[in-house]
Amino acid sequence: MWSSSEHFRITRNRREFLCDACCGFGSLAFASMVKAATVRNPLAAKAPHRAAKAKSVIFLFMAGGPSHIETFDPKPLLNKLHGEKRPASFGEAKYQFITPDARLLGTKRTFQKHGKSGIEVSDLLPHTARCVDDIAVIRSCHGDMVVHSAAQYQLFSGRVIPGFPSMGSWVIYGLGSESESLPAYVVMPDPKGALEAGQPMYTNGFLPAVYQPTMMRPGNKPVLNLDLPKGVSLEQRRRTLGLIRGLNEANMLEEDEDFAARINAYDVAFRMQTEAPATFDLSNEPQETKELYGIGKVPTDDYGRRCLLARRLVEKGVRFVCVVSGGGPGNMQWDAHDDIEENHLRLASQTDRPVAALLTDLKRRGLLDSTLVLWGGEFGRSPEAQGGKGRDHHNYGFSMWMAGGGIQGGRVVGSTDDIGLRATVDPHHFRDIHTTILHQLGLNQDDLSYLHQGRKERLTEVHGSVIEAIL
Amino acid sequence: MRGKVLLLPAAAGAALLWAAELPDKYTPAERRHWAFQERSRPAVPEFADPRDRAWVRNPIDAFVLARLKKEGLRPAPRADRTTLVRRLYFDLLGIPPTPTEVSAFVNDRSPDAYPRLVERLLDNPHYGERWGQHWLDVVRFAETDGFEYDTHRKDAWRFRDYVIRSFSSDKPYDRFLMEQLAGDEINPEDQELRTASGLNRLGPLRKNAGNQEVASSRNEVLTEMTNVVGSAMLGVTLGCARCHDHKFDPIRQKDYYRIQAYFAATHDKDVALASSEEQTAWQMRFDAADQEVKSLRMSMRGLKGDERKQMEKKLEDLEAAKPEPLPAVYSVANDRARLSPIHVLARGEYENKGERVGMRPLGVLLPDGTGDSDPAQAKSPRTELAKWVTDPANPLTARVMANRIWHYHFGRGIVATPNDFGAMAPRPSHPELLDWLAGEFVSGGFRVKAMHRLILASNTYQQSHRSPAAALGLAKDPENKLLWRFHRRRLEAEEIRDAMLAASGKWNRKAGGPSVLVPVEQELVNLLYKPSQWTASADEEEHHRRSVYLIAKRNLRLPFMEVFDSPDLQISCPRRESSTHAPQALELLNGDISNQMAKALAERLRREAGSHPVEQVDRAYRLVAGRGPNPRERQLGVEFLKGQPLEEFALAMLNLNAFLYVE
Repeated sequence: MWSSSEHFRITRNRREFLCDACCGFGSLAFASMVKAATVRNPLAAKAPHRAAKAKSVIFLFMAGGPSHIETFDPKPLLNKLHGEKRPASFGEAKYQFITPDARLLGTKRTFQKHGKSGIEVSDLLPHTARCVDDIAVIRSCHGDMVVHSAAQYQLFSGRVIPGFPSMGSWVIYGLGSESESLPAYVVMPDPKGALEAGQPMYTNGFLPAVYQPTMMRPGNKPVLNLDLPKGVSLEQRRRTLGLIRGLNEANMLEEDEDFAARINAYDVAFRMQTEAPATFDLSNEPQETKELYGIGKVPTDDYGRRCLLARRLVEKGVRFVCVVSGGGPGNMQWDAHDDIEENHLRLASQTDRPVAALLTDLKRRGLLDSTLVLWGGEFGRSPEAQGGKGRDHHNYGFSMWMAGGGIQGGRVVGSTDDIGLRATVDPHHFRDIHTTILHQLGLNQDDLSYLHQGRKERLTEVHGSVIEAIL
Repeated sequence: MRGKVLLLPAAAGAALLWAAELPDKYTPAERRHWAFQERSRPAVPEFADPRDRAWVRNPIDAFVLARLKKEGLRPAPRADRTTLVRRLYFDLLGIPPTPTEVSAFVNDRSPDAYPRLVERLLDNPHYGERWGQHWLDVVRFAETDGFEYDTHRKDAWRFRDYVIRSFSSDKPYDRFLMEQLAGDEINPEDQELRTASGLNRLGPLRKNAGNQEVASSRNEVLTEMTNVVGSAMLGVTLGCARCHDHKFDPIRQKDYYRIQAYFAATHDKDVALASSEEQTAWQMRFDAADQEVKSLRMSMRGLKGDERKQMEKKLEDLEAAKPEPLPAVYSVANDRARLSPIHVLARGEYENKGERVGMRPLGVLLPDGTGDSDPAQAKSPRTELAKWVTDPANPLTARVMANRIWHYHFGRGIVATPNDFGAMAPRPSHPELLDWLAGEFVSGGFRVKAMHRLILASNTYQQSHRSPAAALGLAKDPENKLLWRFHRRRLEAEEIRDAMLAASGKWNRKAGGPSVLVPVEQELVNLLYKPSQWTASADEEEHHRRSVYLIAKRNLRLPFMEVFDSPDLQISCPRRESSTHAPQALELLNGDISNQMAKALAERLRREAGSHPVEQVDRAYRLVAGRGPNPRERQLGVEFLKGQPLEEFALAMLNLNAFLYVE
C-alpha cells in the first residue's frame, strides 16, 4: 500500500487488539502464530495540533437557505421600504430568479430581545431564542454562489465545484475517531429527499475512502451493510470471521502491516455490527428527553429523533455529525421562493424545538463544552420579493450561528446593511466558518493538508481567519 | 537554457494579435526545471560483476540495479510462475487467470513461455477494458452532468468504447491525443473521430433552474476543457494558474488563458446517428409530448395543496413519457460565430476581465516574447494545440505517458504524482530511466503495447514481493521506491467485483454498448435529487458485466466501488488510493454483491468439486487465489466445512487477502 504516511499513525500493537477484541477470536488461538506487528488503524484518534476546545461537531444544516431576515437579523428599515425598489445606495445584486425591478419585501415576523445577552431573535424560533445566551450569531456570513448546488459545495468543502473533501472528511482525516464501534463521520439526510448538490457534497473527494461519510437512512437499518444477510445468524458469522482470520494468518509474512491492518478492519467491523445498533436505538431514552426533543409529536418527531441520535453519537465519540433539515423539492427545504411565511413557519415548526432541545440536552450532560454546534444553510434569502411573497437565494449577507465547543455564547458578530442585502461590518466567508471549526478542534488550517496532484490541498485553501470575536 | 525550444507553426504564425505590452520572460532557473528539459539519452549502466550481468535482462534492469547498488540493496529473486501468471492477468486484463490458464503456464517448460503469455494477454480482447479504465480515470469520464440535475448523457458510453478500442488496437498515443483534442476538426464526417473529441465534454456541467449566468457557465465549460490538457496530457497543474500566476511552477496566468483560447470556438455538438426520416418522426412525437407538458403547466397556475401535488405527479409522468433522445455522438465543433473572447480573468472570475489573449502554448517552452495568435483566424485551433502537445520534441507528453504506464505496472510512478511533473512534485526516483523510457516510447511510434513488452520483459517486473533481504530493504527504503522487491497491491474496486464475477462463473463477457444500471437499495436511490434516474437494467444477465460497463453516474456511485477507493468522477484521478478500513469489511461480509457472488461460487464448487471438502477447498483456492491451498489453509477449510455451510466458506474466500491482493 502506497500510503502517504502522514495520515496513518501507528497506534497500538496487534496483540493488544487481539486481547481486547470483544468478538472472541482469541479463542481461536491463531494469534500466537503471528509475531506482534504494529497495526495501523487509519481512524484511530489522533492528537490535534494543539490543545482543543471541541472534540466533536454537529452541523444542523438548514438546506435550501433559511432567511436571515426572518430569523436572526432584524431590519426595521426593510419593513419601512416594503413595496419599494431597492434604493440605489445599497448597490447592485444578482439573483438566480428575480430581476432588478423587484420590490423589497418586509417581514411579518417580530423580533424580541432574549436572554441576558438581549440578542434579538424573531418569533419564528421561540425555542432557539431561549438558548440564545449559549449562541454566537454571525450576522455577516457570505458565500460566492447564488445557486444551490455550487453554494452547497462551497459550504461543505470550501470549493464551488464537486470533487473536494467535505469539512467532515477533513475533520476525521485530522483527528480520527474516538469510537471504535461507530462511524467517525455521520450524515443524516432529511428523509423527504435529496439535495441539489447530491452525495458529492458530503464526500471525501480525493481523500482515501476511509474518510467517507456514513449516510444514516431512515427506518430500522440506518447504516448500510451493518445487518447480517438474511438467514445468517450472528453465531454463524462469528465462525466465518474466525475462518477468515485463520486463513489470512496462515498466509501472512512476518511483520506484515498491511495485512494486520486488514485483520484489524474486520475486528472493528464486527464491533460496529454488534455495538452500533444499540446506539441507534432511542427506545431506552427517558420519556422526558423524548418530549424535550418533540419526539412522538407532529411536526417535530423526525428532526427530533435525528437530533437526539446526534447527541447519542457524539456522546460515544463520533467526530462529525450533520443533521439535515430539508430535502426533495425546493419547498420541502428552506427554499422559500413562493411564500416565505408558509415555508419558514413550516420548517421552523419542525426544527426549532429539536434544535433547542439538543443544546439544552448537550449542556445538561456536560457535552456542550466539547461539542461545537453549527446552524445554517448554503445562503440566506433576498430582501426583495420573488413573486410577491417569496424570497430568492441570497449569498451576499446572511446569518449562521455557533454554540458550544469553546464558542462564547450570547454574542453577535458582524452585520448586514440596513436592508439585509450585504454583509458590511466584519464580513465572514464560509472559509472563516471552516477555519473557526478547525481552530476549536485544535487543528491548524494550514497544517491540515493533503498532497493531491502535487498540490497541498486544504479545506480553506490559503484563506480563512478565525472569528476571534466569538471565542 | 539547455532545453530545446519548441518552435511551432501555431506560435510562429503571422496572425499575431494582442502582443503583450511587456513580453513575458522566464528566468533561466525557471526554464531549468528537469521536466521542461529536452529528454536526455542516458547511457545504460554497465556492470562488471557476473551476478549483476546475469540479472540485467534489458536496460530497465540496468537503471534499476545501478540505483539499488548505490544504496547497498539487491533485487528480490524472480517470482514463481503461479505468482507471475496471476500478476500478469490482473495487470493486463484486470481479471484473474482460470485454474486451467494457471497450470498451462506453470507447466509450459519452453524457454519463451513468458513472452508468449505476455503476447497472448496483449491480444486478449479484455486488455482494452483494463487499460481503457486507467485513461477513463485520468479524463474523469462519467455519463452524467453532475451538480443538481445530474442529467444522464445517454450516449456517453460511445466515448468509453472508443477508449477501449483505442487501447486494444494499440493506437499510437500521439494519434490518440490528437483525436480526442481535435477529432472533429480532422474529419467531421468520421464518427470515430467525432466520438473521440467528446473528450472536451466530459467535465461536470452545471445547469440550474432559472440560470441567469450564461457567461459564468461558459467560463466553467472552458475551464473544464482547459484543465484536462494540463492534468491528463502535460502533467502540469495548469489549473492552478486560472486565478493567478502559478505559485511554484513557471506557468503564468496568461499561459492558462492562452491555452484556453484554443477552445474559444468549441461548442457542444450532438451528431445524430438516426436517418433524417427517423429524426422527423421523433421530432413530431417529441413536440406532441412537449405540447402536453406545456398545456398542463399552464393549467396548473394558481393550484395549491393536494390538487397541485396530483398535477405535479401527472407532469412528472408526462415528462417521463417524452420519447428518449435518438442515438447520437456527443462531440464538439467549432462555431466561430459564437467564439468566446478569451480574457485573463482576475481570480478566475468571469466578471473580472483583464487583458485579452490569443492562442499560444506554454511560454516556458517557447522563446521569450513569443506572441499569440487569433483564434478567430484559426481554421483548426485544437489541431494546432494537439500538434504541439504531441510533438515528439515536447518534453512533457511522452514522459508523462511513459510514467503513467510505469505507474500502473508497478503501483508507483517514477514520478510519484502522474498528473504533476512540477516543482512541488517529488523528484523522479529514476530520472535517467524515465528519459530512456520516454525516448523508447517516442522512437517506437508512441505504441503503448511496445512499452508493456519492454517493462514486462524486465527482471525488475518479474521480481518476487517476498525478498530474503526484506529487513534491509525496509530499513533503507521502506516505501520500496527503488524497487528492491515487487510491490504487492490491493485489487482496485472494479477488479474486486470483476474477479468475483470470474471466480463465481457469473461473468457476462459481453463487450461494449450502453451502460448497465445494476439494482441498488431504494434508500440509496432516494438520496438522488431525481430518484427516477435510477432504473436497473431489465436484463439480469447485464448485471454481471464487467465494472467498466456499469454506468458512471456522478451523484450515485455504487457503495461497493466507493468503499474501495474508486475515483469520484468529478476531477482527474491519476492514482487510486488504497485505504483499508472497516466499511470495506462490512461491504464484503454483508453486502449484496459479495453474498450473491459467494452463493454462485458455492454452487460452482459443488458442480466442479462435488461434495468432498478437500476438493472443495482446493478448487476454491484455485478459483479465487490462483493457487492451491497450503497445508494449514487446507486443514482450516476442511475443518470449517465439517459443520458450516459451503456458502459461508465461499464468502470467506472472497474476503481473503489471498483474493484481494496481487503479489
